[in-house]
Amino acid sequence: MLGGLIQQLLDGLTIGVVYVLLAAGLSVIFGVMHVINFAHGELFALGAYFALALIGPLGGGTGFFVALLVAPLLVGVIGVLIERFTVRPLYGRNPLYHILLTFGLVLVINDLIYVGWEPGSVSMPIPEFLRATVDVLGASYALYNLFIIAFGGAMAFGVWALLEYTKFGLIVRAGSQDRQMVRNLGIDIDRYYSLVFGMGAALAAVAGIVLGGYQTVSPEMGTSIIIPAFVIVVLGGLGSFKGAVVAGLLVGIIQTVLRTHVPILEGLVIFLLMIGILLIRPQGLFGSEAHDDDGGELLTGTGGVLDSQTRTRLAIAMVGLLALVPLGVGTLYSPYVVSLVIEILIWGLFALSLDFVMGYTGLVSLGHALFYGTGAYAVAIVLLNVSQSAFVAIALAVLVSAGIAWFVGFLSIRVSGVYFAMITLGFAELFYNVVSRLEITNGSDGLFGASAYYGVAGVGVDLDSIAIFLGSVALTGQMLFYYVALAALLGAFLLTRRMLQSPFGSVLKSIRENEQRATFLGYETTVYKRRAFVVSGALAGLAGGLFTLNTGYATPSFAHWLHSGEVIVMVILGGMGTLYGPILGSFVFFGLEDVLTDFTARWRLVLGTVFVLFVIFLPQGLVSLPSQLVPYLSGGSSPETEPTPEDPGFGGDG
Amino acid sequence: MAVETPRQERDADGDAILRTDGLVKQFGQFTATDRVDLEVERGEFRSIIGPNGAGKTTLFNLISGALPVTDGSIYFAGEEITDLSPPERVRRGIGRSFQISNVFGGLSVRENVRLASQAVHDDEYTFLESLFKPTDRYETMNADAERILEQIGLADVADEQAEALAYGDRRRLEIGVVLATDPDLVLFDEPTAGMSVEETQATIDLIEEVLVDQTLLLIEHDIELVMNLSDRITVLNRGDILAEGTPEEIAENQDVQDAYLGGMIE
Repeated sequence: MLGGLIQQLLDGLTIGVVYVLLAAGLSVIFGVMHVINFAHGELFALGAYFALALIGPLGGGTGFFVALLVAPLLVGVIGVLIERFTVRPLYGRNPLYHILLTFGLVLVINDLIYVGWEPGSVSMPIPEFLRATVDVLGASYALYNLFIIAFGGAMAFGVWALLEYTKFGLIVRAGSQDRQMVRNLGIDIDRYYSLVFGMGAALAAVAGIVLGGYQTVSPEMGTSIIIPAFVIVVLGGLGSFKGAVVAGLLVGIIQTVLRTHVPILEGLVIFLLMIGILLIRPQGLFGSEAHDDDGGELLTGTGGVLDSQTRTRLAIAMVGLLALVPLGVGTLYSPYVVSLVIEILIWGLFALSLDFVMGYTGLVSLGHALFYGTGAYAVAIVLLNVSQSAFVAIALAVLVSAGIAWFVGFLSIRVSGVYFAMITLGFAELFYNVVSRLEITNGSDGLFGASAYYGVAGVGVDLDSIAIFLGSVALTGQMLFYYVALAALLGAFLLTRRMLQSPFGSVLKSIRENEQRATFLGYETTVYKRRAFVVSGALAGLAGGLFTLNTGYATPSFAHWLHSGEVIVMVILGGMGTLYGPILGSFVFFGLEDVLTDFTARWRLVLGTVFVLFVIFLPQGLVSLPSQLVPYLSGGSSPETEPTPEDPGFGGDG
Repeated sequence: MAVETPRQERDADGDAILRTDGLVKQFGQFTATDRVDLEVERGEFRSIIGPNGAGKTTLFNLISGALPVTDGSIYFAGEEITDLSPPERVRRGIGRSFQISNVFGGLSVRENVRLASQAVHDDEYTFLESLFKPTDRYETMNADAERILEQIGLADVADEQAEALAYGDRRRLEIGVVLATDPDLVLFDEPTAGMSVEETQATIDLIEEVLVDQTLLLIEHDIELVMNLSDRITVLNRGDILAEGTPEEIAENQDVQDAYLGGMIE
């Protein structure tokens, strides 16, 4: 009994030390530069893969130790390069752009790993003598785990000593307290940023190597560990080294103990902890007073070039064109095109819903897939268990999503900026873990085979059973659903546009511009933000519901953080704060994916690179291209031409 | 560089519109406001002066609700407002103009003014209307906004983006926005900071012209301006009230001269 407990404590400590190494780097990077580094998990994975490559020719004995030294150095250099060339251009902008940037880097690095190595997990060769077991208080225990604890502990201690006793450490610590003050003292703290970032990256690499030897090495190891690592950083207090250590060990041990005793809670407890902490004590266990987002507004898209009449005509023409798409099936292209455009329309709706809160009130929801997933599961559950009416299912999906959005908004909108982003992420991951475990959602397999009719109370039609003949084309099944999706997107667009022209919308825009000023006009801004969040959640739920209505399935991956990230990518690509920009973003996203997959399986690499370039050089998105280009196009040529990223006009906003 | 503004007689009627009672604000160990008892009469033009760090802006932040008080209470129009949120105070009639020109740069001049009058006219629409009925279809609210645009002389540029305005015009807009919140008391924090003599004169003229019915509370560094404009002056020093009185009384007050004016007027 006691032996078992000690065994669990040691296991927990092993994982905990790995968490500490990861979280310490993340936390120091946040403390000094205010950068939320999503790519940290990928640097962690990169460390493990570099080590594999080094051990290969050298063998598992000395090779392992050589790798443990060299791989982190290499990753550290990559970290320095990342800071220098991608993170640095964004200082001074809203810190949320760093979240977007590092999310793009996740796509890039993750695909680079796939390019360099085989998919699937491999084991890391560790030295023979570490495979032995030893007796610890009566329990037999793997020596390698003790090595992780000792080595990782020593590393963490080394970093602590570095921070505590060197001039470098002094400046870094002072910088996390008050960056401006350090500058005022005449110290060029910006010079230290690359070093801090590189150090964090190297620590992540060490964590990746030692954990790789304990478990296995796989391309997904980064994306699955980054969220727990963030939770630990938030728990301990953003920017606090001590907090990262305490929270890392705590979470490692809690997770391991719960896995044995209360398995259902294992994946949930850390998110519950994070949400609880953020609500009660936003600065975390050891953090200092909540950081203010240091200014910098979100850059929203500008149309500008066309007058409103031309724009309306253009919009009508686009909708008309879209309405014709199903008619070309069979003659111009295969039915696949229709299902592709349906997906684009649904994601366009999803992106529009996010834009409504992000682009108009500045609330960056990092967990918007929560509402998409809620809508999808609501439709699946209703269709499979309650009623096969599509109308009932969709109505419930919208209502439930709106309700959850109200609840999440109620709890989280009073915390601002980065904290709001983290708390929404926490809720989405909580949902992901819950639906992966519950019986009614069929666990990690998800729900399949939901079918619907269009009507209520048993009276209605099945889309597959009817056909509308237009000349030689028979519109049926998916081709009819296409119009459902198009109508939903158009409806949502008109609805949100109308809202933005109303008094409600005016207040939202004023909040985006200057929330404090809006307060001093007499507006309770949190109330308005919450309402916007509910509208947004409802529309995201509608998007998810439509997807399931069309395909008949819902899986936990709908609520995964990568899903939330993808929809943010679309919003930024197209242009935030425009409503139509995100729809364009959805077209470009899926268009790129569709074209690229013909050439390479690594389309995320290209997409991620494009996205990173957008965040750095064209943060206002594609819709701002025409107005950005006007100064460069002297007379005659049309401002409508879409240039390539190599175009000289591209760097205008750097 | 005297600014020639004949001091208009505002009819203070002896009824206190604003009163603070032992107001204290501490930031850690530092006491920014130390038991301030301030009383401002309805219709008065009151200026608050004092050296840097005297606690002037902190006092404004406490009155407007931007900062919570450490101790003491605030009464407005006879009712306690100490624990009300900033928007609630605005709705009761405390308008605030900001030190840095703080209009919504991305919105048009008209939208800026309309946003403020929209908060006042919220009884004009139902919840559903506020979500779906376009802003330009509310009559009273828009009439109000247009009238104010005329008053501040920006009707011609109403459709331009606020950030495109010249500095002085943006100041005018800021005053128009405050006016549109329909305040009884307006807090001005250095409304003429960074302005030329002409701009200062124009701004002061505008304030005198459009804010006739309001009680004005002004933080200002320009002593001559304060002497010319104010009905009464409150001198703050180290978080506490050093002296209070008419401009003449303040000018003759020995404490003020020792502690403050002596250093300011060469």
